[in-house]
Amino acid sequence: MSEMGYFQIIISCIFVNNILLAKFLGNCPFLGTSRKMETAVGMAMAVVFVLVLAGAITWIIYHYFLVPFDLVYLRTIAFILVIAALVQFVELFLKKSIPVLYAGLGIFLPLITTNCAVLGACVINIDEELSFMKSLFASFGFAVGFGLALILFAGVRERITLARVPKPLQDTSIGLVTAGLIALAFFSFNGMV
Amino acid sequence: MAKTIAQEFTKGLWKEIPPFRLVLGLCPVLGVTTTMENGIGMGLATTFVLICSNILISALRKIIPPKVRIACFIIIIATFVIVVELVMQAYAYPLFLTLGLFIPLIVVNCIVLGRAEAFASRNGIVRSIADGLGMGIGFTLSLAALGGIREVLGTGSFYLYGHGGLVFGPSFEPFTFVIQAPGAFVCLGLMLCIMNLFE
Amino acid sequence: MYTALFFMLGLGFLCGAMLSIASKVFYVYEDPRIAEVEGFMAAGNCGGCGYTGCSAAAAAVVAGKAPPRVCVAADAEAAANIAAIMGVDPGTAEAILSYNTCTGGNRAADKYFYTSINSCQALATIYGGKRECEVGCLGFGDCVSACIFNALKLGPEGYPVVDDIKCVGCGACERVCPKDIMEIKTMSQRLLHLNQFDDRIAPCQQTCPAEIDIPKYISQIKKGDYEGAVNTIRERNPLLLSCGRVCPHPCEDKCRRGIEDEAVSINQMKRFVADYEMNSGRRFPIPCAPSTGKKVAVVGGGPAGLSCAYFLRRLGHDVTILDAVPMLGGMIRYGIPEYRLPKEVLAWEIQGILDLGIEHKPNLMLGRDFDVESLMKDGYDAVFLGIGAWKDFNLGVEGENLKGCYTGIDFLTNFALWQQGDGAEEQPFVGQKCVVIGGGNTAIDCVRTLVRLGSKEVSIVYRRTLKEMPANMVEIEAAEHEGIQFTFLAAPTRVIGDEEGNATRLEYLKMELGEPDASGRRRPVPIEGSESTIDIDMLITAIGQGPDVFFKDESKLLAEDLNVTRWNTIDSADPVALQSSIPYIFTGGDSATGAALVVSAIGGGRRAARSIHMYITGEEVTPPAKTLFTDNIPVSIFESVEGIEKSARTKMPELPVDERIKSFDEADLVITEEEALYESNRCLQCCLICYNKDVA
Repeated sequence: MSEMGYFQIIISCIFVNNILLAKFLGNCPFLGTSRKMETAVGMAMAVVFVLVLAGAITWIIYHYFLVPFDLVYLRTIAFILVIAALVQFVELFLKKSIPVLYAGLGIFLPLITTNCAVLGACVINIDEELSFMKSLFASFGFAVGFGLALILFAGVRERITLARVPKPLQDTSIGLVTAGLIALAFFSFNGMV
Repeated sequence: MAKTIAQEFTKGLWKEIPPFRLVLGLCPVLGVTTTMENGIGMGLATTFVLICSNILISALRKIIPPKVRIACFIIIIATFVIVVELVMQAYAYPLFLTLGLFIPLIVVNCIVLGRAEAFASRNGIVRSIADGLGMGIGFTLSLAALGGIREVLGTGSFYLYGHGGLVFGPSFEPFTFVIQAPGAFVCLGLMLCIMNLFE
Repeated sequence: MYTALFFMLGLGFLCGAMLSIASKVFYVYEDPRIAEVEGFMAAGNCGGCGYTGCSAAAAAVVAGKAPPRVCVAADAEAAANIAAIMGVDPGTAEAILSYNTCTGGNRAADKYFYTSINSCQALATIYGGKRECEVGCLGFGDCVSACIFNALKLGPEGYPVVDDIKCVGCGACERVCPKDIMEIKTMSQRLLHLNQFDDRIAPCQQTCPAEIDIPKYISQIKKGDYEGAVNTIRERNPLLLSCGRVCPHPCEDKCRRGIEDEAVSINQMKRFVADYEMNSGRRFPIPCAPSTGKKVAVVGGGPAGLSCAYFLRRLGHDVTILDAVPMLGGMIRYGIPEYRLPKEVLAWEIQGILDLGIEHKPNLMLGRDFDVESLMKDGYDAVFLGIGAWKDFNLGVEGENLKGCYTGIDFLTNFALWQQGDGAEEQPFVGQKCVVIGGGNTAIDCVRTLVRLGSKEVSIVYRRTLKEMPANMVEIEAAEHEGIQFTFLAAPTRVIGDEEGNATRLEYLKMELGEPDASGRRRPVPIEGSESTIDIDMLITAIGQGPDVFFKDESKLLAEDLNVTRWNTIDSADPVALQSSIPYIFTGGDSATGAALVVSAIGGGRRAARSIHMYITGEEVTPPAKTLFTDNIPVSIFESVEGIEKSARTKMPELPVDERIKSFDEADLVITEEEALYESNRCLQCCLICYNKDVA
């Protein structure tokens, strides 16, 4: 990925390597917050916001602290700590300073701390040895991909509530099968970049 | 109300088996279950973290201040994840490569954190071990089952630690779909459906 | 090794310091219960509950929008702990449940044939559905398939039936229903619902001033579920024993059966189940919402005050009733005589209301012993003025203050006080030749009381005719049976006394009926030179009464800011919101409307309780958007009704006349269980436009 251009990175992250459907990251909130469209949109926005911030900050931590001091093995613990603190900080900040934004977006922040999409995307950026700017673009792409899949899925799921689903298939079960079908659709982007 | 230690253990095997009854920690379930071997590897790694963190959190539950408990839990869990990561790198490098990203992501697996918070932080060490072991084995079994099904249907063959071979014979055209990403969702959904049938 | 240690310590310290500073700088107040509830959740922030993380789920629990067992990762014990914080058992009082508000179902006729997809949403897009009823259930059960808890099924009548035990109040059914049949409500929300134009309610329920769900309680009686019937009535009317005895049942005037046949005897059935509870030896439990810590003072312990206090208590507020007289009940204790409503029955009913945890402070009169400022100083958040209408109007003729002349309310109150041992030592004066002036219920109560006290000649003098009398017809008939004389078309002009100042004769002018006046009744016109006299030794004037607002002049605040109408009623900008010109003062009952029915006062008490609840919980006090109030929904009022087979209405059992005029024993008796069941089967179980036909 490190040899791609910025545009290619974004396309690849949104469609081809969609973080939810191709990389299987962030599935808990994917199933949890997709019952209603409003929630899905809010969650998508919050993920875009946090993931870009987290991508930047973890890149700095990794390249300016962990690598020089030869502490690469502490990556996981350092990242999760920084992400958790960051999310909490943003939440506190929004709650007080921009209550409007908090009401729409901030309430999704706690879900993001333990969202593996965020940690996962950061780790992927490091593993792929992207430059700072590229990792920002990749983070953005992953986040948009997450949002896109989530919103699409929520739309389908809202329709499912009206369908007569056989009893054992109801709720999560049909949700997963639906997600599989959406993943199949995304599969066709393979080889695009 | 009080359950025996045996009950704490067995509830994780069927009554509250993750990820089916407790729909948590889906990412590794979907991501690594291309073969039964991977599923078992991932399950065991998670079980190890689950038991160790349960022990430590249960031991420290009276010391950890309640306000920052979540942060403390995450750090304890992350520590054990790093241990698993390093051990795997040293002794099971091929598995480490296949599981890849999902090893560090055990940190954010809702099952581990959920059990820490819901169980270990309010129960004694022995009970917490039983709970961690039960949940871990349940999780491993689920992963192994899903991995096995996908492996058999998706490749037409079955290998476990070097043993095994073709299941349906050479004329069988495998459902490649099952082994790929969309198949993971569909398989898990259908397994959940079958479990609901036996309710 | 050391670098790693230092690095982690440094990073941990940095994060910790940053967050602790941030939490101080960006501090925002939050209900402390949210943090407590969150403490019991699994804190995985997994989102499995559908909320955005544990703190959002906790906030929803505290706000009463999510059940205590919302967390999917926590066990039953955690749910019990959360429930303990919230002060509710998992799934009681304030649990949100789904309610089906349409009982039409398959009874409703079709406008057109529909053979397409079996989905209400699809059907609703074609002219709003195939059924005649614009607002009724479409019957394909979109709600049933939307419910993931299997709490809904399509009943045999073609509308959904909710299983309260399985329902968690998730709201899926409400969201998919294109006709808004399904409602997700807490008990409080249901208690506060006022009839609206788009409700699916029968004409009787539209007409009842207390808005009781009459078809529902009759259907419960039909099934033998008397406790359920009592609970249904109690959602709208806490004084069912009293109303079952004294209510003039305006609902029966609008009964659909009454158009072709005799109306269903609704009130008799209410009295039957109310008496059933009293005689069952136990009180049916009344759930109340968790305490809110807000305090409300209810001034006046009459039906309006009791109703307001009862509903506020059920909504979780702390209520104190301050009453000027020793015992609660107001006009229904002191104005309605023993033979219509035995004090023992009333006391049992009021005790049940006080048992909810309402404080009663007797012998405190507004303007004499306390005022509104002192109440606000004592920490009350709102005040309800239910002071009733206790001041008799004067006749305005010469000699009306002679000895032997009384006013209606004074006479009845003094007598009731004496009868209960709270008044004078001696029995109040009773004449032998008594005349009562007036045609209302107070006048009838006076004459029937006088008869029981041994008066030889008792008569009513009324300036119009029998047809114009505002009193209840049953009461007038009962009075006739008890030997009361009626002098119609007679306007008193003078009371003539003897040398000692005792009234001896009443002079009146004969009248004839002229053109109708504003009230639609023909105005009586005096016939010149037709003066006549009757011999009397006692005269009671009962020509109407209004609120006594003397307390207003005792307080600077009230004198300046509290608006009073020219009929001395407390002015409220909206007759449904009932908020006075001082925002924290509310009113209801006779003090808002002038002398009216008990059941209207009960309805007024509930409307005021709704406004007070909105006021003290920080909402804007407004009436509901499409409030029905005293109107009827036009489509529900029929000219004629098909499919009725005539059946006789159950007669009200009464004590024989010669027996009842000798004592104050209750004159009207309760119907038997067989009669109640027979009567319940006469009910057509109407919804907005559909009903069960006797013959198809």
